[in-house]
Amino acid sequence: MRSAYLSYAAKRFAQAVIVILLAYVFTFVVVSILPGDPITNVLRAPQNGFSEDQIRQIIAAQGLDRPIPVQLWTSLSNFVTGDLGLSMRSSRPVTTLIAEVLPSTLILASAAFAIALLLALTIAYGTQFVPKRCGQGLLRGFPSLFLSVPNFVIGLALIHIFGFQLGLFRVIAPDSFWATFFAAIALGGPVSARITEVLIANLDKESEQEYAAVARSRGLGQARLFARHLLKPSSLPVVTVIALAIGELLGGSLITETVFGRTGIGSLVQRSVSTQDLPVLQAVVSLAAVVFVLVNLIADLVYPLLDPRVKLIGGRRVRPTTADDSATATSAAVTS
Amino acid sequence: MIARFSSLSLSRRRLLAATSVVTAVALTAMAGLSPARSAGAPPTGGDITFLIDSLGSTWIPNNSAISSFQGHVWGHVTDKLVYVDADGKVSPWIAESWEQNGDATQFTLHLKKGVTFSDSTPLDAAAVVANLDIWYAGRKSDGINPIGLFPKTYERAEAVDAATVKVFFKAPTLGFIPTLGYHGSILISPKTIAQPAAQQADLSKTSGSGPYVVASWKEGDFVKLVKRKDYNWGPAAVGHTGPAYLNSITYKLVSEPSLRVAAVQSGQADVAYSPSPQELKSLKEAGFTIATPRYLGFVNGLAINTKLEPYNDVKVRQALQAGIDRKEIIDTVYTPDWKLATSFIQSNVPGATDHSDLLAYDPGKAEKLLDEAGWIKGANGIRTKEGKQLSLTLHSNPYLATAKSVDELIAQQLGKIGWKVTIRAYDVVTFGEKVRFGGPAVPAYEVTRSFIDAGTVASILTDANNGENWFNLGDSDKKLNELRDKIAGAASLDIRNPLLDELQTYVLEQGYFIPRTQIVQRIYVQSPKLKGEVYNGIAYASYYTATIGE
Repeated sequence: MRSAYLSYAAKRFAQAVIVILLAYVFTFVVVSILPGDPITNVLRAPQNGFSEDQIRQIIAAQGLDRPIPVQLWTSLSNFVTGDLGLSMRSSRPVTTLIAEVLPSTLILASAAFAIALLLALTIAYGTQFVPKRCGQGLLRGFPSLFLSVPNFVIGLALIHIFGFQLGLFRVIAPDSFWATFFAAIALGGPVSARITEVLIANLDKESEQEYAAVARSRGLGQARLFARHLLKPSSLPVVTVIALAIGELLGGSLITETVFGRTGIGSLVQRSVSTQDLPVLQAVVSLAAVVFVLVNLIADLVYPLLDPRVKLIGGRRVRPTTADDSATATSAAVTS
Repeated sequence: MIARFSSLSLSRRRLLAATSVVTAVALTAMAGLSPARSAGAPPTGGDITFLIDSLGSTWIPNNSAISSFQGHVWGHVTDKLVYVDADGKVSPWIAESWEQNGDATQFTLHLKKGVTFSDSTPLDAAAVVANLDIWYAGRKSDGINPIGLFPKTYERAEAVDAATVKVFFKAPTLGFIPTLGYHGSILISPKTIAQPAAQQADLSKTSGSGPYVVASWKEGDFVKLVKRKDYNWGPAAVGHTGPAYLNSITYKLVSEPSLRVAAVQSGQADVAYSPSPQELKSLKEAGFTIATPRYLGFVNGLAINTKLEPYNDVKVRQALQAGIDRKEIIDTVYTPDWKLATSFIQSNVPGATDHSDLLAYDPGKAEKLLDEAGWIKGANGIRTKEGKQLSLTLHSNPYLATAKSVDELIAQQLGKIGWKVTIRAYDVVTFGEKVRFGGPAVPAYEVTRSFIDAGTVASILTDANNGENWFNLGDSDKKLNELRDKIAGAASLDIRNPLLDELQTYVLEQGYFIPRTQIVQRIYVQSPKLKGEVYNGIAYASYYTATIGE
């Protein structure tokens, strides 16, 4: 069993490394074949007044006139040794740029994630125990509401109401507690929606199970029933959704950071995309790939340890399914 | 203090401020509460926040000084050899005086003594030579660009003694002294210049000699400047030479325009840059200071591709010149802060002359010219000749937010006299890729560009000396070539000015350049508490002389 797990872990790890490298190459190729040459365009901007000859010299000095495969190979070998190069735009080391913005995004993303979970749990709890005539339907409508209102609209509304009208925070100090709190709401709201939907679906299912009826007949309180009995079985598929939510947090942070004037990974991506700053884009996409791969790797490695029914056959995890295995069934329904 | 400033835009701004005092009760009360001001001594202290839409890309001085955004920061962190005010008047700054030889090929600069960079290196002749050299040549192997608008006729500079620099040119370069006041010509410590590009890109490691130094910064986020207490070499033209009054200036990036303005309205910030022109009227009425300084340069207009049919026909170009109602553009798209174009260069450029008569709206004349050129109006109102429609494609300038609205209005105006106008709007990258002066699908290229000296103009219009060949004329127009050579070789303004006047008449008459409006690219919305800022010849606000009230 132990050696089976180790070989499974090794395989997973190797796969993860390959995925990261492929993501790197893919980004490089995509950005390289995009129409338009960002560097020449910047140099050609009318106010610079460079001659074509000067532009050629500048391009050659940066090695950008070499064939794409050569540039890719140089870039990839530097990446493997941890050298992310210099930003084309600012000439500063890419690692410095990322180190400057990463903390802000991590704080925002974790706050948004906490808020998303809290919202999801509160709303899901409500849908189980608020009577139909007292607005249960309204609560069930929340996820679709969050999904349909764009992130930036929520953000702008929060800024105007709590920032400018009530003066709770200042847009010029976006890293303050309240500014972060409201940015986290704007970002976490839509993320909570998906988690809530899955949670509600599973709670609905679980509360119809016999054990729930038995628990209720024994006079168990609502809160205890929810926390002790319903939440745990309903949460298993939610773990999958949470992994997906990390992607949404990364994507959403781009807009939220722009709206709230925060300087994080999102705003770095935005600036780098608009100027096609290849080294920075490479680094950020690779970073995102690392995060995704790590989250999945951890999930994969932890799953067999948590669920004793999972068998490891030839480096893959196989779980025997039975007809009444509701968790697996729901999980399949969610991911399909 | 008011009397000491002489710039046009400033007096207009002050007039506006005065109007707001009358309208806003709160403001009247405030004006009464500033005894320090009325006594004549400006209040020292205070911190301001300037909200900006971008902080540009890099801080390598040579590569960034040309950007419209970083120019705000450089203007406080660095000094220049000469000062150029909003009327293009050149006055001493770090260069206390200068002489030039008869044919404008040699210049001697006499420097102010006792000036130091913030890294305590002296700003002496050697430092000036190091700056001139890197402005001209850059350090391409290291990714440091030359400054594009620095005279390409530069030969060398030498330090005669610690306070005297002699500069040599290969050909007459009348524009040299004014160019020293351009936003690219910022004086940087020789220690900084010697650093590799990656070091220079770190703003906190760059030393200038300006009234403020960088206290902290974060890329794409903010730059905080604090004043230098020993600063004592400001340009006399702004009426103050000692340390700045304000303690600190923070440039903070807020990319959403409505948030920048709302933050100033709610008192969270002091200045909002680049609001939308449509908002200005209500902000002005609410008591905010609005500044729309013009910069020295070309007006906003269209450079015509004379190789492309039917624009190879002078009558068609003249019809275009007469068929645009420039007054309507200002009334519809802009506010009265925008001025009518009077030439193809801005009216505040020294040497600009008034040619409004050539730019008058006369649709009757335009229709007559088109009839003569053989373009006959069809049943659908569009003119045709030999089966071809009279068409014009306009590529809206992605650098100017209002460009597309102006294009739409022009399309309507020209539509009335039988033109079929198509508008294409590209993003910055695509625009740079597809739209070029004289490009095969570009009948008209929209221009907005600043410069300091009108002598620059002649070198751009044709392809001589690596010129940009705006009208795709090459060297084919004899008269234009003659004017270009005479202007470039002029040894004095007395010789050059009549030639410049002739050039303006000729270019407009030939319909080579179709002006739209004078350009206002930098718009400021400012809290009424902040007073006394100055706008230079490139329309950057300097808060060196500014004070803030309670």
